[in-house]
Amino acid sequence: MADINPLLPVSSSDGSSNLTGQATCRRPIKVVVSIFFGLLTLGLFAALLIRNNGPVDYVDVHENERGSLASTAFEKAENLKPVSRGPAAGVSEKSNWAFGGDLPDYPWNNSMLSWQRTAFHFQPEKNWMNDPNGPLFYKGWYHFFYQYNPNAPVWGDIVWGHAVSKDLIHWLHLPLAMVADQWYDKNGVWTGSATILHDGKIVMLYTGSTTEGVQVQNLAYPADQYDPLLVHWVKYPRNPVLVPPPGIGPNDFRDPTTAWLTSEGKWRITIGSKINKTGIALVYDTKDFINYEMLDGLLHAVPGTGMWECVDFFPVSETENNGLETSINGHGIKHVVKASLDDDRHDYYAIGTYNDRNGTWIPDRPNIDVGIGLRYDYGIYYAAKTFYDQNKKRRVLWGWIGESDSEAADVKKGWASVQSIPRTILFDKKTGTHLLQWPVEEIDSLRLKGKEFNQVRIQAGSVVPLDIDSATQLDIIAEFKIDSDALDKATGSSDASFDCVTSGGAAERGALGPFGLLVLADERLSEQTPVYFYMTKGSDGNLKTFFCNDQSRSSKASDVDKHIYGSLVPVLRGENLSIRILVDHSIIESFGQGGRTVITSRVYPTKAIHGAAKVFLFNNATELNVTASLKTWQMNSAFIQPYPNL
Amino acid sequence: MTKIISLFILEAVFCFTFFTVSYSDINLIQTTCKKTPFYDLCVLTLKSDPRSSTADVSGLARIVADSVKAKAIATLNQISALLKSVKDPTLEKALEGCIVSYNTIIQADIPVAIDAIEKNNPKFAVQSATDAGNEAQACENSFAEKPSNSPIFSGNKAVHDLSVVLQSIASLLL
Repeated sequence: MADINPLLPVSSSDGSSNLTGQATCRRPIKVVVSIFFGLLTLGLFAALLIRNNGPVDYVDVHENERGSLASTAFEKAENLKPVSRGPAAGVSEKSNWAFGGDLPDYPWNNSMLSWQRTAFHFQPEKNWMNDPNGPLFYKGWYHFFYQYNPNAPVWGDIVWGHAVSKDLIHWLHLPLAMVADQWYDKNGVWTGSATILHDGKIVMLYTGSTTEGVQVQNLAYPADQYDPLLVHWVKYPRNPVLVPPPGIGPNDFRDPTTAWLTSEGKWRITIGSKINKTGIALVYDTKDFINYEMLDGLLHAVPGTGMWECVDFFPVSETENNGLETSINGHGIKHVVKASLDDDRHDYYAIGTYNDRNGTWIPDRPNIDVGIGLRYDYGIYYAAKTFYDQNKKRRVLWGWIGESDSEAADVKKGWASVQSIPRTILFDKKTGTHLLQWPVEEIDSLRLKGKEFNQVRIQAGSVVPLDIDSATQLDIIAEFKIDSDALDKATGSSDASFDCVTSGGAAERGALGPFGLLVLADERLSEQTPVYFYMTKGSDGNLKTFFCNDQSRSSKASDVDKHIYGSLVPVLRGENLSIRILVDHSIIESFGQGGRTVITSRVYPTKAIHGAAKVFLFNNATELNVTASLKTWQMNSAFIQPYPNL
Repeated sequence: MTKIISLFILEAVFCFTFFTVSYSDINLIQTTCKKTPFYDLCVLTLKSDPRSSTADVSGLARIVADSVKAKAIATLNQISALLKSVKDPTLEKALEGCIVSYNTIIQADIPVAIDAIEKNNPKFAVQSATDAGNEAQACENSFAEKPSNSPIFSGNKAVHDLSVVLQSIASLLL
């Protein structure tokens, strides 16, 4: 009804006197409205331009969460702590260094760097390694696969490395087992697990990152089941066998476990994931490892724990001292759920009860549920995975130990990461709350010359040197007796807040600690790594014992991690305090109370290397005398090398 | 009249989408940068890159990574220039050490961070970003004239602080 162009004069005619009249009245309104909208449009365009190109002054400048803007000055001597998502222990092994070394930086010469390479821990000849993959025992050989970068000593271009051993200690390198040669694993041949079927055949499930960056699960198997070395592997031609289900993000679906049998005779696996910030474990049943049905429920979930990587699920016996095959269930059996938390780079486990019928698991103690309670290891240790060793009827645990030095040093030395010595894992019958980890017995075969020290008295505030020859490849088993009178006499304090991580380390003297050993220490103690106990007494008279590793003075270099690791360790009435330490150049694995609490550290001394490294007993407590008895052994190299004449 | 009304509706829809779209991408930059300890630096860096207007958090992390690399290259060039005319052996040693640090940042840390972001395995980006910040700080610390700043202080600070921003943003992707 309105004129197409209201600005044109309306021709008047006799029959349209009304129209004319109306048109004359309406025109100015139309004009005004049009001009209004026109200007509005222009104004909005102008606003768009200014928004995207103008100065940022209009942005709300405000005090950020961490304090006023002006004060985050770049102080040289200060430790700048950026946003930390994890506990004070540090978000990753490359945590922000607490600067304060005596040496100018870059002290690293070839002697120091080449010394860092381990003698009896698994590592490839060069370049980067991370997660352990698909460990298994088959036709007389232990197999180990691992995330590997064949091209550089930093993460990237990930493929599956492979090695074999008769005894979990002497390893022989084999060719790469799988490379990124399919669309479904082009962006990464990631972590996976092996299952041995009824007929002895092996299937491998692993995560591939596709060309689109989606995480999928793929099936692979040995090309030749009669080859005990399992050199060649074949990928199932119709991979992937599993893709992220509805409701699960394409980047939150990885690390399938070894399968176990359900009471219906199907195979069951679990895969870690997350929904918002709740870490979860999805469950799938399969008969052929090709077709799967996802269960409606989850194996378990814990809010606030974030993405669950490298989930592991296995039974432990409450009564026997052997490991259990993954499908075992029944009386006297508990099940462990373990997850590697992406958010804080630590491995957590919890002990509980599995319900086979609906594929769920509940923890014995929800207050120390998965991700909020116990850790396998309180140092550098991640992506751990167990397997059932049917050869010796034990459950064996592998764990990835990254570097805690600078990447500049890693690049210079040409390699990064080692694996822990494989550990047997058992339910701790005495506490009922912990697992026990202990280096596999085959490590004892590396022991050379041994020395025994009996009843060495270490008075409060003293250091006792131990006369052993070389101290960079050692196995130490030590027991500490404490004066029970001194324990009774010590005054309890209401300050129940001791924590290895936030403490002052071995230099912080308490009434009942610290005391233990100094390893990778030079004669003048200018560099030292204390491995020790620290006891506290509460106002209620209850004693607590902590087991710690202190890296704060482990090296004069300033570009290495200097944090203090450790945790509470349960000590039962009548038990002496015991420590086992494996020293192997730049790695220290320490086991408190038979493996109830374990700490792995990477240590990079500049002076306490080669012949200059020594071991001491120390007691820095103020009110306690300690008596130590220990055995030390020089450890031979494992001579890890390529498989000959392959 | 209906033409006016439809014009009005069109206009209203236009304004609405315009405001929500442009408001929401600024909002993502703001909410992301609030989770870093260097809000101003974060916002400035992101807004000066046109990709930020359509980027998700992963894309914002990528922009910051590129910026760290650019600043690191600039600082490396500065160090090289200083090395050409240096006389003092202590200063020379520090500068040579910084070359190592900056080469690590440019050739190892940032490429790994970008790769990890692209391959959706952000923990390696967090780790590399942390290392980059540490390398810059190690370089700054290696100069003898404490407590005053080194000749490349502003470069070290920029690289350090941006690395921290990258670390924070990559953490959001975990």
